[in-house]
Amino acid sequence: MSADPGPLEVNGRPVERASIPDDERLLDTLRWRLGLKGTKEGCRSGDCGACTVLLAGETVLSCLALTRDLPALPVTTIEGIEEDPVAIAVREAFTAEAALQCGYCTPGFVVATVGLLKELGPDVGVDRLREELAGNLCRCTGYAAIDRAIRRLARGGP
Amino acid sequence: MPLTLERPDGVDAAIAALLSAPDAVPIAGGTDLLLDLEAGRVRSEHLVSLAGLPWARVERTGEGWSIGSTAPLRRVERSEGLAADHPGFVEAVRSVGSAALRHRATLGGNLGRASPASDLLPILLALDADVTLVGPAGPRRAKLDELLRGSRDLALGRGELIEGVALPPRAPSAYAWQRVRPANDISQVGVAIARPPGADRWAVALGGVLPRPCRVPAAEEALTAPTPSEEEVRRAARIASTAARFASDRRATAEYRRRLVDVLLRRALARASGGARP
Repeated sequence: MSADPGPLEVNGRPVERASIPDDERLLDTLRWRLGLKGTKEGCRSGDCGACTVLLAGETVLSCLALTRDLPALPVTTIEGIEEDPVAIAVREAFTAEAALQCGYCTPGFVVATVGLLKELGPDVGVDRLREELAGNLCRCTGYAAIDRAIRRLARGGP
Repeated sequence: MPLTLERPDGVDAAIAALLSAPDAVPIAGGTDLLLDLEAGRVRSEHLVSLAGLPWARVERTGEGWSIGSTAPLRRVERSEGLAADHPGFVEAVRSVGSAALRHRATLGGNLGRASPASDLLPILLALDADVTLVGPAGPRRAKLDELLRGSRDLALGRGELIEGVALPPRAPSAYAWQRVRPANDISQVGVAIARPPGADRWAVALGGVLPRPCRVPAAEEALTAPTPSEEEVRRAARIASTAARFASDRRATAEYRRRLVDVLLRRALARASGGARP
């Protein structure tokens, strides 16, 4: 029998894990147990980035993490990053460039961009930021506008 | 699928948990294992989490670099000084999935799953890496090449865990790969080269070949010079592209993979040995 891993903190709120099944993915906990539907299920196999959330500020794919296996660190979803200055800058850049078409991939793109900007710093450079975002797919292929938003945010590069 | 997850808080408890059920399997980042469990390619109802084990180190030691099996790949690639000492290894690590995937995926997981298309096995073979293991009989150390039995088959004893990997202090190296999309697919072929300290030739290893990533000694024989000539590089590339068993599958035909090996080996050598870029 598995020891109780302790509560997981999601968007600042403790989530008791004792009653969560061992095989539940973080994505399903967020969407179906906590009602946080901003995190999207795309491929459910780690290929599309739609389910990206932050774990202690680092991007992770919530479709490939077992909720009960995660360390007791804060999880931040698209719903939880609104007051963050980096997130506000990312939201403004995506809005200014209308960097979305159907919008399904947008939460993943925004969360991934926020996480990468914090991890790599504001001088990351356009080329590096683009490369690091390669794990996020837009099935509408609306990349041109997303790319313009990224260029607004990455200061250090060309 | 009923499935239980044990979270042992130490090495002995993890080994005991693995021995307690015949179908118990260790889980580290889970980025590969969870897919195989869901698809039924791996059958287990008992997962043993390695999250509580103290094996997430990436450090320089007296012998070289010591990288713990549960170190997330993202931490490995961002470790100060590692890219300067082992450029090809860090290139290979950065080629695995996306940044978000590498925040969870681990070095030990990649080794333990032993995929023929692994991007890390070829460069570790070229570096002649040692793998440190811990099991019911205690710790041991083995060459990766000896442990790697076949596709998805690493010769671990029952209850035995990968503790980490030991690399030489530094070695010129490069890893070149090709795939359809960079962060969302696995490599069609990967070519790793390295010249560990004291070696009298470049080591060449291939991934995306069957049954498992392998060294190509016949190609290495052509590459004794620190900066091989164009003719030597061409000869090595020709040998490497016919020396392994290439599969035709949905990612590429065998013929395309052979041609890729030829090109990628020349590119890798140009990067690592300072030769002209083909």
